[in-house]
Amino acid sequence: MGVYHQDMYRYAAWLSRDKAIAEDVVQEALLRAWKSLDALRDETSSKQWLLTIVRRENARYFERKRLETVDIDNLTASQSALLAVEDDKELDDMRQAVYELEDDYREPLVLQVLMGYSTNEIAEQMGLKQGAVLTRLHRARAKLAEKMDR
Amino acid sequence: MNCEQYREAIAAEPSFDGGAGHLSECSACQAYRSEMLALEQMISRALALDVPELEVPELPHIETDNVVTLSKRRVSPPAFLAIAATVVLAAFVGFRMLGGGLEPQSLADELLAHIDHEPAALRISSVAVADARLESVVPADIAHLDHGAGLITYAQSCKIRGRDVPHLVIQGEHGPVTILLMPDEMVSAPQTITGESVNGVILPVGDGSIAIFGEREESLDRIERKVLDSVTWST
Repeated sequence: MGVYHQDMYRYAAWLSRDKAIAEDVVQEALLRAWKSLDALRDETSSKQWLLTIVRRENARYFERKRLETVDIDNLTASQSALLAVEDDKELDDMRQAVYELEDDYREPLVLQVLMGYSTNEIAEQMGLKQGAVLTRLHRARAKLAEKMDR
Repeated sequence: MNCEQYREAIAAEPSFDGGAGHLSECSACQAYRSEMLALEQMISRALALDVPELEVPELPHIETDNVVTLSKRRVSPPAFLAIAATVVLAAFVGFRMLGGGLEPQSLADELLAHIDHEPAALRISSVAVADARLESVVPADIAHLDHGAGLITYAQSCKIRGRDVPHLVIQGEHGPVTILLMPDEMVSAPQTITGESVNGVILPVGDGSIAIFGEREESLDRIERKVLDSVTWST
């Protein structure tokens, strides 16, 4: 459970950029998974299955709530909590830089770095072509490198 | 491989191990690679958020009909334990949210959940599945399917409510569109499902039904007509 739950939570947190929403999304996703576990036919894809459910639940959450784009200068407590780190300025800066990345760049990066997905798997998960994924990953890192150099 | 190509490749996949020849001769790219690996380490640390501890209390009684056994699921022990443990938590969450009991799923919920399980199906593609594959997924004793529905890019026989159901995907204007042929699942009237990332409909067709789900922006009217024109139940 530790592995899957951690992955689900971190994926949800980086998708939503909000700790409280991430917890709600994971709970909804787990409930949906529980109700339909019988349909999971390939145990080797269980992690991907759970993350897909998280992704869809996150989309549903934002459709229901119709949340506005996050303004980094006016974060709620729950949003700020995501950025709270230890006494490490560089890590703090990097977390904020990732936070500020557009969704299109942040999500494939999370799937690759945190979930260990190949670019093919990311393309599958996001409904993109592999070339588009490579471009987004390249740009995501370029943006992060630029922010960290400032 | 030149510097630009190498740097694009390694920035997209820092584990990229091609271009060894170029790397051995280019000190600038060697330095770039070191920078990217350091950046990667920092990204990885930044993404690894602390995960709140979850307490799993004693579980309430679960109706045995809702429990899927190991043998039934044919899942190997390590994977089963991992997924089952996750589901134990889900059971707790589920019971809390539902006030102590599990409600039966509607057909629409079950179909949506099923679509969630097969992310590979929702791939944007221009490659049609082979005719032989299509014939095995939609056997003649279930339905006759002509090619009028559109380019079928995915075909899989799936279990819905204990029955084998052809699960097909065609490409719509806004992405993949899922079609589930359910000759034995009767619905009394068309059911529209909207507002949750998807736009869908379950249509009564003879003694069965056909479900069609697309992206929220997808206009299904035209697809519905094409699908209905292209499917004939065999029974």
